[in-house]
Amino acid sequence: MRIVVAYTRRMLKILRSEVLVLPSRVAVLVFVIAILALPLVTQDYYILRIMILTSIFAILAASWDLLSGFTGQMNFGHALFFGVSAYVTALLNLNLGFPPYFSIPLGAMGAVLTGLIVGIPCLRLKGSYLALTTLAFPIILMGIVFAIPGITGGELGLSGLTKLTGSRVNDYYVTSILMLVLGGIMWKITDSNTGIILHAIREDEVAARAAGINTTRYKLLAFCLSGFFAGIAGGLYAHFMRLAGPSTLEIGLSFQVIIWSVFGGMVSIYGPIAGVYILNPFMEVLRVILDNFPSLPEMRMFIFAALVLLTLRFMPEGLIPWLRDKVETECPRCKVRNVAFRRSCRICNAAMT
Amino acid sequence: MKSSKTVLLLMVGLALSWGLGLTAAVAKPIKIGILGPMSFTQGEGHWNGATMAAEEINATGGITVGDEKRLIELVKVDTNEFLSIPDATNAMEMAVSRHKVDFLMGGFRTEAVLVMQDIAMESKTIFIGCGAAHPKLCTRVMDDYDTYKYWFRLTPINSSFLGKVDFILLGTAGAIIKQQLGIEKVKVAIVAEKAAWADPIVAAAEKTIPEKMGMEVVGVWRPSPVATDCSAELAAIQRAGAQIVFTTFSSSVGLTFAKQMGELKIPAAPVGINVEAQKSGFWEATNGAGNYVLTINTYAPVKITDKTIPFYNKYKELYKEAPNYTAGTHDAIQILAQAIKNAGTIKADNVVTELEKIEFIAASGKVKFDKSHDVTWGPDYVTALGTQWQDGEMKCVWPYGWEGVTYEGSVPFKLPPWMVEYWKK
Repeated sequence: MRIVVAYTRRMLKILRSEVLVLPSRVAVLVFVIAILALPLVTQDYYILRIMILTSIFAILAASWDLLSGFTGQMNFGHALFFGVSAYVTALLNLNLGFPPYFSIPLGAMGAVLTGLIVGIPCLRLKGSYLALTTLAFPIILMGIVFAIPGITGGELGLSGLTKLTGSRVNDYYVTSILMLVLGGIMWKITDSNTGIILHAIREDEVAARAAGINTTRYKLLAFCLSGFFAGIAGGLYAHFMRLAGPSTLEIGLSFQVIIWSVFGGMVSIYGPIAGVYILNPFMEVLRVILDNFPSLPEMRMFIFAALVLLTLRFMPEGLIPWLRDKVETECPRCKVRNVAFRRSCRICNAAMT
Repeated sequence: MKSSKTVLLLMVGLALSWGLGLTAAVAKPIKIGILGPMSFTQGEGHWNGATMAAEEINATGGITVGDEKRLIELVKVDTNEFLSIPDATNAMEMAVSRHKVDFLMGGFRTEAVLVMQDIAMESKTIFIGCGAAHPKLCTRVMDDYDTYKYWFRLTPINSSFLGKVDFILLGTAGAIIKQQLGIEKVKVAIVAEKAAWADPIVAAAEKTIPEKMGMEVVGVWRPSPVATDCSAELAAIQRAGAQIVFTTFSSSVGLTFAKQMGELKIPAAPVGINVEAQKSGFWEATNGAGNYVLTINTYAPVKITDKTIPFYNKYKELYKEAPNYTAGTHDAIQILAQAIKNAGTIKADNVVTELEKIEFIAASGKVKFDKSHDVTWGPDYVTALGTQWQDGEMKCVWPYGWEGVTYEGSVPFKLPPWMVEYWKK
């Protein structure tokens, strides 16, 4: 009992001194609570479906940020990891009867292997050459999918997978908790020594190498880690939709991931997650609104494109960093972030000018 | 005081009129969700066909359900399935859980329809497919009847039967060439767009044409689905001495190919699948060069049944284009209305039983669902059509004496005159 009280006190102390002092951390806390409490408010199948897909795509977008945002390895074919894992998961589930909790991690391992295969030839490439090469891989795989329809299901894909869980609410909790946990892990990775090295590779690879860092190994690591997280998303998608088809490899999905990430704010992990959580439900809100104006359904994509363009025009760093900079400022002395209205730093007491 | 009396009187009046309104209220409408990519021709076909049928039935007072008549309320569900499968499933879920539709029909891209089918089955909502041809959608009914019994496919006939019709058309053209031009061994050029769906047709054609049809394959050409120039392929086909060009096109290349083939007066007959040639704007789009193109089709102004010509003409009058097979939602609603009438309820299980028993004369033919809930194909049922462009008009040229079936208004297949002239020399 005493331990519980002690831990609760410690939690409250952290909450008061570390979380409630910054609007961005309060926003994260509110977000986590809202995510976990949603099924208590509504169990509407439509809303839960949107939120499940949003969680899956949030993992995918954050995994892209880990590779392209933090390490600077511009990947235009991120759907490759997603698709490979979806297909591996589906094959294991349909042919060997593996349940989702085995097939999804194994599917993700398939994506890791793909990360290695793709990473090795891409190591020598940079910038637009790298981007174009990565773009080619899902197209190649799509060709393979169509070439061996006996295994991949061809144009139809593989359908009839086991359901992720037995109920929509459970599906929701599995995907959203995984999103929170994996998002947290990815954020932690970027905040670790490995993350700093990845950052250094992006900023100046020659300098990083001169400092004795084996950049090749770290770039490969970034490909594999990103592949793993994207693979988990792909496996979840396959089991939730009960289908792994060519659409999981489409170029449109790869670009969608980039749009979400750039909109939310790259090099942050939480930016792409927020980007998906804003844009994906927004499209559905538009569907509901435009439902009342039957003559205007084609306006949905137009409004979406206009919103993204306007955001990037006025917030080139992305929505979330822009918002954070509005409500928080950095201490000029100790570089700790403070709420914008503070006159002195909460840590070193320096004047916030 | 006076004003308060007026208010009281108004309130009583309102309450009375509301009460009267309640007693005179019509029965709750039957909601039917129409699924399709609404920004594309296919989705427009779904919606137009359904709207036409709903207006016709509502004009008679609605669908008879037991002792009452219930109007049809259509819910337009834009699935955007060409661009995004998750979008399609979200739209489907919205129709089922938000709009609480009683029935569903439409769908086009098989990959999307497979997932949408699962959502409909989970909610035990009857879903009549009018767009996706793959047999797998119906084999699921055989594999797991209790789960998938709410699925039925009306249009098009499934891809295996489409393949059969394709080869029947080829055989018909071959026989006519033999007879009219006196050619012993007809030469066939296989031309299919470079797309996965066309691969099995090409493979089957390469095997079936020489082995079972007694014709010779002179080569296989696979232009891009969006090619804007096919003159190289056409020159090669002419050099190869083909008398028939067996086409498999669903994309814009069908238009390019047909136009250039007519302009270059290639001495061969184009026969097969050309989705562009199913559209009423084909003649204008090819400047008349698409004359004599033969394609598989679903609707044409021929008397398949008594309902076909009135449906075809009214559709064309209302929407300024010929109905394509996604407009099969028109037949789907009529069949559904009959099944509901027979069942006396809109309860899904009862309606499924009636749909399984139904034999309905629709615009596309006599509809009967087989054990897998697929539309039955055959001389006494839905056959599909072969339509040929003849001097600016889309004419039905098949079935023409096939298994004793000739639809009133059909005409014989014609060979291009320049082809006859070339091969008679």
